[in-house]
Amino acid sequence: MAEDVKPTRKNLMAIEDRIELSERGHDTLEQKRDGLIMEFMDILDQAQDIRSKLDEDYDTAQEKINMARAMEGDVAVRGAAAALKEHPEITTQSKNIMGVVVPQIESSRVKKSLDQRGYGLLGSSARIDEAADAYEELLETIILAAEVETAMKKMLEEIETTKRRVNALEFKLLPDLHENKEYIEQKLEEQEREEIFRLKKIKAKKEEEEEEEAEKAEAEAATAD
Amino acid sequence: MSQEIAVVGSPEFTTGFRLAGVRKCENVPEEQKDEQLDDAVQTTLEDDDVGIVVMHDDDMDHLSRQVRESVEGSVEPVLVTLGGGAGSGGLREQIKRAIGIDLMEED
Repeated sequence: MAEDVKPTRKNLMAIEDRIELSERGHDTLEQKRDGLIMEFMDILDQAQDIRSKLDEDYDTAQEKINMARAMEGDVAVRGAAAALKEHPEITTQSKNIMGVVVPQIESSRVKKSLDQRGYGLLGSSARIDEAADAYEELLETIILAAEVETAMKKMLEEIETTKRRVNALEFKLLPDLHENKEYIEQKLEEQEREEIFRLKKIKAKKEEEEEEEAEKAEAEAATAD
Repeated sequence: MSQEIAVVGSPEFTTGFRLAGVRKCENVPEEQKDEQLDDAVQTTLEDDDVGIVVMHDDDMDHLSRQVRESVEGSVEPVLVTLGGGAGSGGLREQIKRAIGIDLMEED
């Protein structure tokens, strides 16, 4: 790598500029990575709470529907399920956390009253209502979990990318640039030393010539006398 | 744009959600999961009206590696798995890879 660059002052200055920029970028990216990890830790606590609630809600819902199945029969439960008219809907908006766009999910028509369900009051029993209630509760927790888990996934992707960039700067780009800088500096020093040596040689040769000329002039003056 | 919730799994798993009003249900009988679950998940992922996909954590083992990776990494729609405890749905692995330590270790 170092042999690819021409050892000139112009290149040295350009490399010094790049090193300064890369170091600044490295510091900024490191701060971004640390900030993202801190934000992620906050979300992680929230996610773990939601996860445990999700598991609890799922267990309750299963218990309720199993009870309804056992008491009313599978056909009655399926019949009630097929009669539903109102459907839950979700709308997604976005929020920005340190440059990462995370969704904010809003739901509508998840919780329904008895008359909104559409399977009628007479045709069903309280156990089916309880099961429907439990599943509506579960859906609400699922929506919360989806919001938090999407945010986590997106933040993890961003953390990974930032980490990779920081590492690339720290372990590849900056060492290479420093190596190039050192190479150019050494080459320039060598050229300087060669130049000084050359000048000394020329000076010595000139002095020798001058001495010879002076001697010749003296000899000529002596013969003239 | 308003979207819906989709549920993929055995008829026993989806019935409860239909009771709560979910209409996008992909029913795959238990004995045909190995053959049909991949297609059912892929159809749901390709549906633009779906914002959240709900699956049981045990069903993830029936998916082929490719479909499993695409569904676990998908953000739109996002996958929520039930019954698998914390860190299911590939999140735990992703955390280990990105942060370097297992933050979801159960105490």
